[in-house]
Amino acid sequence: MSVTRPFKATDLFKFNHINLDLWTETYGINFYLGYLSRWPDLCSVEESPNGRMMGYILGKAEGQNTEWHGHITALTVAPEYRRLSLARKMIDYLERVSDNTYRGFFVDLYVRCTNNVAIGMYEGLGYSVYRRVREYYGSLGLGRNAKDEEDAFDMRKPLSRDPMRRSVRPNGREISVSAHDVS
Amino acid sequence: MSSALDRQIRPIYEALDTGSNKSAILACNKLLKKHPKNDLVKALKALALVRSQKVEESLVVCDEVLAAKPTDESTLAAMMHVLRGLGRHTDMVAMYEDAYRQQPTNEELGSQAFMANVRIGNWKAAQQIATKLHKQFRDDHYLYWSVMSAVLQANDPTTPPGIRPVLLKLALRLIASATTPSFYNADRFYLHLMILRDLEQYDDAYELLNNDIGKAICASSLVCDELRRDIWRRKGLVKEEGAHATNQITEAKDRNWLEFLAVLDATFAGSSDGSQDDVAGRIAETRTLFEQVADSDGRGDRSGRLALLELEKRAVAHGSAASRSTELLKEYFATFGDKLVCFEDLQPYVHLEGNLLADWTEFLTSQSSSFTSVAELNCYLNAQKLLRYNLSASEATAELEATRAVQYLQAYFDALKLGKELPDTELQPADDLALLSGQAFVSAWRASRDATCLYNAVAALEYASSRSKQSYKIRLLLIRIYRLLGAPSLALEHYRAINVKQIQNDTLAHLIMTRATLFSLSSVGDLTYSSEALESSQIYISNSQETAEYTVRAFAGEKYSQLPEFILFEERLDNSLQRDLTKIEHVRIRITHEPMNSDLVDMELIELKFIFDRLDLVHHDNRDFDVIPNYQPHSGPSFHEQTLLFDKQPGLGWLATYLRIYIKIFQSASDLDDDVEDKLLIGDRPKPSLDPDTKLPLKERLAQRKQEELDELTAEELSFLEYATALSDWLVPFHDYIRPPPAAVLAEAAKQTELKTGFPLKGYEPPKNGTATNGHAKKAEEPPALAETPEVVNKFFDDMSARFKEALDAGRLPPELLQLVTLTQEGFLVLALETQRFKPAAVIKQYRLGAMVQILKDIRTKAVAVLEEMSTALIKLAEDGATVDSRKAFVQACKPVWGASGLLDHDFVATISKKVTESRKQVLDGVGKGVVRVCKNHA
Repeated sequence: MSVTRPFKATDLFKFNHINLDLWTETYGINFYLGYLSRWPDLCSVEESPNGRMMGYILGKAEGQNTEWHGHITALTVAPEYRRLSLARKMIDYLERVSDNTYRGFFVDLYVRCTNNVAIGMYEGLGYSVYRRVREYYGSLGLGRNAKDEEDAFDMRKPLSRDPMRRSVRPNGREISVSAHDVS
Repeated sequence: MSSALDRQIRPIYEALDTGSNKSAILACNKLLKKHPKNDLVKALKALALVRSQKVEESLVVCDEVLAAKPTDESTLAAMMHVLRGLGRHTDMVAMYEDAYRQQPTNEELGSQAFMANVRIGNWKAAQQIATKLHKQFRDDHYLYWSVMSAVLQANDPTTPPGIRPVLLKLALRLIASATTPSFYNADRFYLHLMILRDLEQYDDAYELLNNDIGKAICASSLVCDELRRDIWRRKGLVKEEGAHATNQITEAKDRNWLEFLAVLDATFAGSSDGSQDDVAGRIAETRTLFEQVADSDGRGDRSGRLALLELEKRAVAHGSAASRSTELLKEYFATFGDKLVCFEDLQPYVHLEGNLLADWTEFLTSQSSSFTSVAELNCYLNAQKLLRYNLSASEATAELEATRAVQYLQAYFDALKLGKELPDTELQPADDLALLSGQAFVSAWRASRDATCLYNAVAALEYASSRSKQSYKIRLLLIRIYRLLGAPSLALEHYRAINVKQIQNDTLAHLIMTRATLFSLSSVGDLTYSSEALESSQIYISNSQETAEYTVRAFAGEKYSQLPEFILFEERLDNSLQRDLTKIEHVRIRITHEPMNSDLVDMELIELKFIFDRLDLVHHDNRDFDVIPNYQPHSGPSFHEQTLLFDKQPGLGWLATYLRIYIKIFQSASDLDDDVEDKLLIGDRPKPSLDPDTKLPLKERLAQRKQEELDELTAEELSFLEYATALSDWLVPFHDYIRPPPAAVLAEAAKQTELKTGFPLKGYEPPKNGTATNGHAKKAEEPPALAETPEVVNKFFDDMSARFKEALDAGRLPPELLQLVTLTQEGFLVLALETQRFKPAAVIKQYRLGAMVQILKDIRTKAVAVLEEMSTALIKLAEDGATVDSRKAFVQACKPVWGASGLLDHDFVATISKKVTESRKQVLDGVGKGVVRVCKNHA
């Protein structure tokens, strides 16, 4: 339960309790305004009844031809609001807009190969690993599992425009590409 | 352009792209020898110069290009970057408008001219250009540009209220003239609805929305749906919205809390006959609906149960008698008590009294205090937080709070086992118990003013931080407590560890920049806070360079819904209160270690006046205090309030007061007057304020005092204000008499510019009859008579000395001592600024200042004596505070958190004692030694 509302530029003044968490990056102004000036309908916030931001999602639409898809760029929920199905709610929304408004073939997202909790959650939501992207992330500087930490899984879920599920494959974990080869 | 030239220009772009400005300049110079008239090369050179901080040289080249009135797109694009770098947005507009005028059929130039106006919020001109573009090129998006510009002009604070509806009606007429209806895309539709709403034409808006297309748009556009809710509400369609929401909840299984609120609003909306039965009936209906939702959702969603609580609360407010609130609270707790959010959810509903409170408290107390899973721990945590929330003032005594703090800590250690296996990138589930312990210790300190409570708090929290390195919450508590204790280096360490960056600098810098002058050691050469001030202010530069660009992009992409927000965002950063509070701290820090030459005095004077001019317009307090955890009882102050230095929060009033002080002081010390300032200024002035107060002459505005502003100052800061004001007023006739005439100042500035750049100062013409002299021309009138030394000036240093001794004897915490010393030092520095004009022997002789100088000298001597005394005391205190004994005393004072088994380790506490005492020593010693140095620098 929460209020679903658009992500606004002025939310940047209010998201500290979410972004101070280790796993959430705080980008420059240009990053957020870049998204909002192009895909405002793919950016939304979940807010608690008393008006605190609980989490947010930022997305975009990109790709050519059958690769045209919605992409989840950032998805985060503040620690105290986890395990309330907020991520599922935000992803549902982004999938709906990607499907209805943008007519994409699929939605995809990147996740650190070490982030098992997140990977499990995405699988539960119908996503599967499409490929492994080498050295996609910067190191967290924690000095362990360096390789897995910097590699990303590109996970995908087909939308209604891809009824034959051509945008996914069963053996994605074994297919590995370099970070230069992806957009 | 010839392809040969094109080939030669490409490397210049590459050099610029990679930041090799030097080689770009060289390449430009080489090309300019062959093509001395090429505007593009000149523009690129100007750009490379701006980027290498060679502003004056860049200006010359830039003006040459502007004078040639370029129309070539590459040149214009390069010039756009140059002018932006120089802050000359008005010139940018003129340049593009000129180009468009020369080539009126060039669509691209027309768009650029439009965008240039958008960048600086010139909505009227933007609207006219867009209209022209639409007439000429017949594309609907130009029409919408003009509509949006009209709306933005209507919303602009400079637009007179009477003009507002005219502009909105114009916008509406324009939309009606479009070839395609507004529902062509969601953002055009949004714009259309927004205009109708602002014109209060709710029926028309309703008509647009209440058809299939309108419904379809709202279903997939959150912004449109948000606007729809607003329009429904304004039109009084509460009932309809309630029915719609009921449908959403039952049929579509929507669990958006807004739908539940809509149902609640409809339940209590005034009925036509106003009968109570009607409402009671509706309450019963709504209750049934929510109960069904609660039952079917179970633990899956909180909406139903929370809505029942809200319904009960509103029903009681409406006059319903029998209260089921504790029952509902217990049910809620039983269902969701294991979710951390439970505490926040229930807060609005637990303001209970009498039997209800007793019943609720008993329920919470009976919750199990043993936990074998995170779910059980969360239940316990929620119970503890809720119990604490309802503590009355009489239950929050020092003893009781200290006891609670230890109990929380015991539970914390017990709970740590649940997170043993977690990697150190994860938060510990036990963290909140440590937070509770820290808060209770602080509460105990507030009740007793016994600093040892704070020692216990930092020991406990430091341990928790070591176990949960990623917990920013623990660090926030530590930052606040370390500042209270006068251990700023430790506060800074934790601040750095939470990795504040980008926009967070605006919202979080208050954590360390508030009254940073207290802790700055710049007088002994440690520039930590000075550079922190500059670094945290970078975001404002990014804002002014980047944000407007996205406003332009939103226009280009027709994302009209985003524009008002982008504009507000830019404005909130540009006029951020924290920005200017940091600025003041930076100025205060600068004067302790930099020479007081015109680089400092003139530049700061100009900047402070800018801030002062826009002060009353709007300042936005973007500081995030909510991020600081608060688990204190709601009957008393929050943790944030409890841990404010000196119990005062500097805000707009504090800022205004300090601006007045320093503008006055710098005005005295400076040779600049408004004319000269205008000539020397590069870039645009900020938009003038709308507040009628700012129309008053500066002098009157500087003399204003408002009680609510002064209330933000500490008693010591008030003394400083009185002193600095009196000092400045006393000496002002002499400054005005001796200050060289503007013509002479300007001539000198022109000379310096020419020496530096090889070009004459722009817009400056030397006087023809040669009246400019060396600046010490003999004055016709007699020198002013010296008034008697103001009493406050005479007494300031003695008073501060007495207060310092008092505070020292009373064993006050370091920040109080530091405040007294740094303000006394500031009084001395202000004296130095105010009197340096009277220093040269020639001036004394020429203006017969002998008597005055002697009086000033006496004041200075007294100041130095007082400061030296303070210095000695601080240095001694620093030594005494960091001995083996004092560390032992610290550890001993922390016995509550390590004495019993199962709590902290003695050695751990010993380490903390060392860190705290060392950090204190560093700041006391540094400030103490710095004082002597400052005195020497201005002997």
